[in-house]
Amino acid sequence: MADPIHQFQITPLPGLDFGEVTLPVIGTVHLAFTNSHLAMTLAFVLVIAFLQVSTSRAQVVPGRLQAAGETMFGMIDNLAQSIIGHDGRKYFPFVFTLFMLVLMMNLLGMFLTFTATSQLAVTATFGVLTFALVVIIGIAKNGLGFFGLFWPTSAPLVLRPVVGLIEFFSFLLRPVTLALRLFGNMLGGHVALKIFAGFIVSLMGVALAGGVGLFALPVAALSLGMVVALTALEFLVAFLQAFVFAVLACIYLNDVVNLGHGH
Amino acid sequence: MAATPSAPPPVLPVEQAVEYAAETGHVPANAAAAAAEHDAGGLPQFEFQHWAGQAVYLLILFAILYVLVAKVFAPRLRRVIDERAETVSSAVATARSVQTEAAAQADAAKADLEKARADARATAAAAKARVAAEIQARQAEEEAIVAARVAEAEKAIAATRDGAMVHAASIASDTTRAIVERLTGKAPTAAEADAAVKGAA
Repeated sequence: MADPIHQFQITPLPGLDFGEVTLPVIGTVHLAFTNSHLAMTLAFVLVIAFLQVSTSRAQVVPGRLQAAGETMFGMIDNLAQSIIGHDGRKYFPFVFTLFMLVLMMNLLGMFLTFTATSQLAVTATFGVLTFALVVIIGIAKNGLGFFGLFWPTSAPLVLRPVVGLIEFFSFLLRPVTLALRLFGNMLGGHVALKIFAGFIVSLMGVALAGGVGLFALPVAALSLGMVVALTALEFLVAFLQAFVFAVLACIYLNDVVNLGHGH
Repeated sequence: MAATPSAPPPVLPVEQAVEYAAETGHVPANAAAAAAEHDAGGLPQFEFQHWAGQAVYLLILFAILYVLVAKVFAPRLRRVIDERAETVSSAVATARSVQTEAAAQADAAKADLEKARADARATAAAAKARVAAEIQARQAEEEAIVAARVAEAEKAIAATRDGAMVHAASIASDTTRAIVERLTGKAPTAAEADAAVKGAA
């Protein structure tokens, strides 16, 4: 059976491998334009193409593509404004960029042999970027009041240090959970797809031998059904995880933008 | 996998070493090392030498897309959405004003209708009153004529009756004189007969 993990292998594209260098602190870095870079680039280009086509001749009465673009736009816009409030417009471009990139990478993974968001390096970058932005905005807006985020005024005074400590660690874990949630969903979905698809091939091989092997046919059919169902599910997950990422980014931004406003 | 102790495993380049291992069942030292490096941690995602390249590249793409969204795409869509909202609200306002105008016109028409109806009613009532008065006047006139004629007739009747009564008295006195003459052979005087008739009456 085909190795279900092989699809996550990072391989430099031919002619674009620039060897390895060892940097201080970071360690060994493999400089190359890999299949992961290619997938990210494709997603990036497709997002720009989609937004360009859907907004270039924007009409008051929208065409089909413009309606699709506006749906995405409106969804994230409503999200940002309903969670963050009036300041939501200011943070909309970040959340929208995040959402579109993650969504397009997830969706491309359904068509290509490689999924950028199944790379922990990619999801961790998204997670750390979001986290860093939250911390920077928090400190820029509130100064030292930012640490009030970890001081639960609603808790009894005795419990406050304990709850605050828990809050602090859960805050530190945010980039990890953001990265792992997306990574785990993409990894699991694609591994499951690969395994069931592999079953079909190997069981059909058994069936082709004839005789008792013919009993493998119904199992192969079942696997095929599973692959079809999982594919549909994965499309849903691709959208849902991008949306969840955007929602969480909004919630985390809201924490620091409206700090102390008793939102 | 147990290596047979008879032949010490040769040192080979990685690819050949893997083939060698597959053929002989021996695992050369450097092949094991290569395999360990390749499958470290099981998942290819944990080959950390590829992380920095992906992260930096993604950050660059993200930054470019962020600028494009913030400066180009979002303003474009916002403009068109605002424009649409304006168009819709102005259309709704126009529709509302037209509706109020129509309602006002309908009210005016209704009022006109009411007025016309009231006028018609008044005209009808006036006509009725006039006709009634006319009828009454004519009736009174007729009645007066009839009454005059009745009075005249009654007068004539009374005159006739009075005349008849006078005749009746003279006839009675004549008859009395004739009866008395026949009975007694002696005719009373007219005065006596009259007195007797009056006394009998």
